[in-house]
Amino acid sequence: MNKVGSVLLWAAVAIVGAISLAALALGRGESVNAVWLVTAALSVYFIAYRFYGKFIAEKVLQLDDSRPTPAVRHNDGLDYVPTNKVVLYGHHFAAIAGAGPLVGPVLAAQMGYLPGTLWILVGVVAAGAVQDFIVLFASMRRDGKSLGEMIKMELGPIPGTLALVGVLAIMIIILAVLALVVVKALTASPWGLFTIAATIPIALLMGVYMRVIRPGRVGEASAFGVVLLLASIFVGRLVSESPTWAPLFTLTGPQLAWALIAYGAVAASLPVWLMLAPRDYLSTFLKIGTVVALAVGIYVVAPSLAMPRTTRFIDGSGPVFSGQLFPFLFITIACGAVSGFHSLISSGTTPKMIEKESHARFIGFGGMLAESFVAVMALTAACVLDPGIYFAMNSPAALIGSTAGQAAQAISGWGFTITPELIEQTARDIGETTILSRAGGAPTLAVGMAQILGAALGGKAMEAFWYHFAILFEALFILTAVDAGTRVGRFMIQDMLGHVYRPLGNTEYLPANVFGTALCVGLWGYFLYQGVIDPLGGINTLWQLFGVGNQMLAGIALLLCTSMLMKMKRERYVWVTLVPTAWLLITTLTAGVQKIFSDNPAIGFIALARKFGDAAAQGKLLAPAKSIEEMQRVAFNNYLDAAVCAFFVLLVVAMCVFAAKICLQALRQAYPTAQEIPPQALVGRAAA
Amino acid sequence: MSAQGSPMSAQRDAEAGLGPRWRGLCSACRQVFGMPDYERYLAHAASRHPGAPLLTRAEFCAREIERKYGRGGMRCC
Repeated sequence: MNKVGSVLLWAAVAIVGAISLAALALGRGESVNAVWLVTAALSVYFIAYRFYGKFIAEKVLQLDDSRPTPAVRHNDGLDYVPTNKVVLYGHHFAAIAGAGPLVGPVLAAQMGYLPGTLWILVGVVAAGAVQDFIVLFASMRRDGKSLGEMIKMELGPIPGTLALVGVLAIMIIILAVLALVVVKALTASPWGLFTIAATIPIALLMGVYMRVIRPGRVGEASAFGVVLLLASIFVGRLVSESPTWAPLFTLTGPQLAWALIAYGAVAASLPVWLMLAPRDYLSTFLKIGTVVALAVGIYVVAPSLAMPRTTRFIDGSGPVFSGQLFPFLFITIACGAVSGFHSLISSGTTPKMIEKESHARFIGFGGMLAESFVAVMALTAACVLDPGIYFAMNSPAALIGSTAGQAAQAISGWGFTITPELIEQTARDIGETTILSRAGGAPTLAVGMAQILGAALGGKAMEAFWYHFAILFEALFILTAVDAGTRVGRFMIQDMLGHVYRPLGNTEYLPANVFGTALCVGLWGYFLYQGVIDPLGGINTLWQLFGVGNQMLAGIALLLCTSMLMKMKRERYVWVTLVPTAWLLITTLTAGVQKIFSDNPAIGFIALARKFGDAAAQGKLLAPAKSIEEMQRVAFNNYLDAAVCAFFVLLVVAMCVFAAKICLQALRQAYPTAQEIPPQALVGRAAA
Repeated sequence: MSAQGSPMSAQRDAEAGLGPRWRGLCSACRQVFGMPDYERYLAHAASRHPGAPLLTRAEFCAREIERKYGRGGMRCC
């Protein structure tokens, strides 16, 4: 493009972005249109990609297209395949985008739309996209090695092992919290539960079709799978209206928790072609389709943001999660701003498929920007809702009671006027009997989406359909993640146990496999069940534990990136990773320490454990526990959560020390010591 | 989605030189969704290992699904 044109174009993008941000942050009185929010985000992404992404690619990492990538060196048609840049972008996005960016921003909406928006935008540019891009680059220069292997290579064997244990712990927590989101969405919802349950036979049918009836015809199976999936939403309505069938699909939280635990154990033991693969295809279609539909819907409908810019709950007294804006906003919105989990994906299959080094900027940096956009849309959908409805859906029963009347009174008392009639009407509109205390993001997002998509397509009559479509879409990929994650966890557990007792590490040995699966399901199932019976609603505990863990992992990945830049003798540019590392460490260590030691039982695990333990010792019952035994269990669970949190804190402090040592060593060296594949490496050395 | 039409359609299309764009689009979709891409495998085998024995579509798809999901497949939250 000619130079003048380019300057004018980017000046225009900058002006549009500045106007949108000004409208968001400064507009007075009148409500702000959601289009400003989405436009501001897009402008920030384009500018960040064009300038900061380019700076990192050219100056910091010095991408070099004359160096053969792993895909070119090993091109084996299987793992290592040079892939078109745009196609790989789609593949990478489908791998990183999950439920995370949909949940965190919805929870954070209790502080108003502005704090969440600003953190998502600043976080993604300064930390999230940088982490994804540089980890992808590091893996690409090391033959597609995984994060654990790279930490071992560059920081040493002990940090490598520590990081793996940390990853396993985070996996367990994330599986529990994702399953909890599904429990919260499906409790006492026969329509939702039927639709989700129907995905199991649909996936089995697809699996059999692809394997036995018409082997290898994945496209055909997917096409009828999608049709059946949509049909199941309509049948779900009939089920929910049937006096005989509805009670069968109306389950309580603990019943659903047990159902999910059983599902996880069985699903993860089936052959992958039977259920996991077909389900993953369906969930990827819905995921990409829904994200696109939501973006179009927001622009077509142009709804106003009903949530205020900031609410009084930035002081830490919020009903959705407790704790002040600093540090808790920064661990509540993890995915969408910066997610440690991405460092595992960016060092997984993607680096083995990159055709040219220069593509890494588009795929790594650009891919994370797209994930961040999903988070912005989730935040938008939550903030479009009447704040009263938002709080009715996301506050635990302990605070708002269990009837529309009690809830309306409590929430109006917080300054968000709402009538019981509106709460009941909203439930009827979406085809449910109640919307109260459905924390966890999915249902709130689904109501927001139903209102946006309903306004664009089908009107009020279709809102119930869109709601259950949105629930289906989230639950589908959460259940896929539960299945796949249980398998990943099982292999990690077996790898570790193999060092202790060799036969347990043998993944071809059935008893060892059963033991590994049972242990993995048992661990996340324990946390899930604990979340379901938690007095503060479970999400309050588990999501923050996950947030701390996930951001710690991001901190570890960025520590690796920092050490790598030092070893490459690029210390001039080390601030690119050092600044986000420092910020992540500050926020997560503060949050971690507060979660453990805060005197406020709504925040501190130990304080809550003491509160329940002391009351139990005096023979007093605290709601919602119904027996002294349950009281003691709540106390024990909170001590356990404190221990998990302490483990994350100690882990990241240890990694910090290891990385600092390596950085100082590298600083004293006169030449680069990073262990990259040399630029003149032969092509086709290990071709299959 | 990557509707693949009737059996052997990909080979027939290739012979007739029809719809290279359509096939390219199908292939791109399969790669994005992480589905087995038999046509691409055939092309790869023809260019890199001419004369080597080929897997059938069923064998190839079974192997690809096992390779991708066998260890669970790390995915994001």
